[in-house]
Amino acid sequence: MPDLSKTVPRPRWWPHFSSPLRSTAVTARLGRVLGIAIAVCFATGLVSELQYHPLSWLPWPAAPVSIYRVTQGVHVLTGTACLPLVLVKLWSVYPNLWRFPPVRSVLHLLERGSVAVLVAATLVQLATGYANVLDWYPFRWYFVDTHHYLAYVVMGSVLLHVAVKLPDILYGLRADVAQADVLTEVPWEENPASHSNAGDVPAPTTPAISRRGVLAATGAGVGVVVLAAAGQTVTPLEPVGLLAIRQWRRGPQQVPVNRTAEQAEVTALATAPGWVLQVDGATSFQLTLADLEPSATREARFPISCVEGWSVGAAWRGLSLLDLVRRAGGDEDSSVQVFSFEPLGAYNQSVITGPQLGAALLATHLNGQRLDLDHGYPLRLIAPNRAGVLNTKWLSRVVVS
Amino acid sequence: MSRARPIDRVLLARRAFAVAGVALLAYGVAQLFLVVAWPDLVLLALWLAGALVVHDGLLSPLVLAVAAALRRFVPARGRGFLQLALVAGSMITVIALPMIYLEGSQPPEKAILLQRYGVNLTVLLGLVGVVTLVLYAVRVASDARSTRAGAEGAARTDAP
Repeated sequence: MPDLSKTVPRPRWWPHFSSPLRSTAVTARLGRVLGIAIAVCFATGLVSELQYHPLSWLPWPAAPVSIYRVTQGVHVLTGTACLPLVLVKLWSVYPNLWRFPPVRSVLHLLERGSVAVLVAATLVQLATGYANVLDWYPFRWYFVDTHHYLAYVVMGSVLLHVAVKLPDILYGLRADVAQADVLTEVPWEENPASHSNAGDVPAPTTPAISRRGVLAATGAGVGVVVLAAAGQTVTPLEPVGLLAIRQWRRGPQQVPVNRTAEQAEVTALATAPGWVLQVDGATSFQLTLADLEPSATREARFPISCVEGWSVGAAWRGLSLLDLVRRAGGDEDSSVQVFSFEPLGAYNQSVITGPQLGAALLATHLNGQRLDLDHGYPLRLIAPNRAGVLNTKWLSRVVVS
Repeated sequence: MSRARPIDRVLLARRAFAVAGVALLAYGVAQLFLVVAWPDLVLLALWLAGALVVHDGLLSPLVLAVAAALRRFVPARGRGFLQLALVAGSMITVIALPMIYLEGSQPPEKAILLQRYGVNLTVLLGLVGVVTLVLYAVRVASDARSTRAGAEGAARTDAP
């Protein structure tokens, strides 16, 4: 039994909460789903980080071809679902913000500080992540690094929060939703008047919406958001994609584009009749436009999967990159760097090795047509399980080492 | 002894979560200080503080005010269903609003944000509204039936 003599009565003007709707039982159930979703988001985010900073001992496999499509689709969808979910979760514990006295001890101050970090980091992480998939940058910082390391802050403070709240979580999950405590600004274990300490009494009456109603409405909200947003990556859900950000059907050759030829300022160079691909290795050589057409006979079905969460399956035709690498004196263990003639941009080159190199195409055709200018005409890289931006477009040079 | 074991397990789990949490948190903060430039860090700090102010100081009081207004003006039975629709509907709206704001902001080749999201949001909210109305109608009908049954039951008991 906590020492209640130290409890200072709150001033009359201090905000106070009595609605029987909020309960540790409701919060624990919302928190369980949110915590799992954040963990899934964190894990799939780290998987995506391996696209940009691959580990030499853990190369991306070439098959099955949809691993990255699935992990990144899940990453963006769970992140999107977490945004409204975290708002309901925070609603359920809002009275805790108004505990009196606001700070009782150093430990209590630390606990409140950790919750402030948790809430702030989670809200900013989810909001900026969502802005990024909308191609919207109302913030100045470099998104990738900040998103990457803020994720550790979010995951770390979630784990710390679980450590602090574990007894409440266990009570909340064990308790019947309708019967459990009424969560006010004085938590149940410190509140002798709380329903949970009052013995065997009837469930608190919620005159309008019930606690189960709150959980059901939250589930319905998340469900509608996920179903309506998933169409940009789950092809069968495309017809109900009322909140789909991308629509693959409306892109050139039925594939969306992340950076257009105009944005990349490559139109003149890409359409120049004197285009050549310079291949540098032990035996250097060049390919002209006339050389491409007869040798582009290799076909493959790889999805193109963007880090922003959209993806679509596509039929590609082109040259086997490994054939060119062998002709230049390399082999399947070579490290191959491909360059675009795009003058600027962080992704105007990329390195490909291992299983991806074995499966990669230098594509000339997409979905049965000569590659559209926006898809990288005259020649682009495409490989399975490779983030969209790493499939370098408008190729000018291949270096085998 | 056997009673003490489950308590120890919880304590052990709390310590494990705390150690892992503090380690990840410290790594994330340290990396942010190493990787992000100072002016951007200040901006990020402002965003973090701003998120707390906007959520705790604006959004939550607004939700409380709406809830208070509903309590004042809408009878309990109907209010419950209205609250169901408002919870689900606000969650959908939060996701849809930025889309409406950014609609058509990009070159069409990117196939991004080309839908009429205002119309789409209206459709989704309409769907939530219709489902809620059906649930409400079922509830009203079942209440009326039980009232009638109660009245008939009472009438039978009153019969000589």
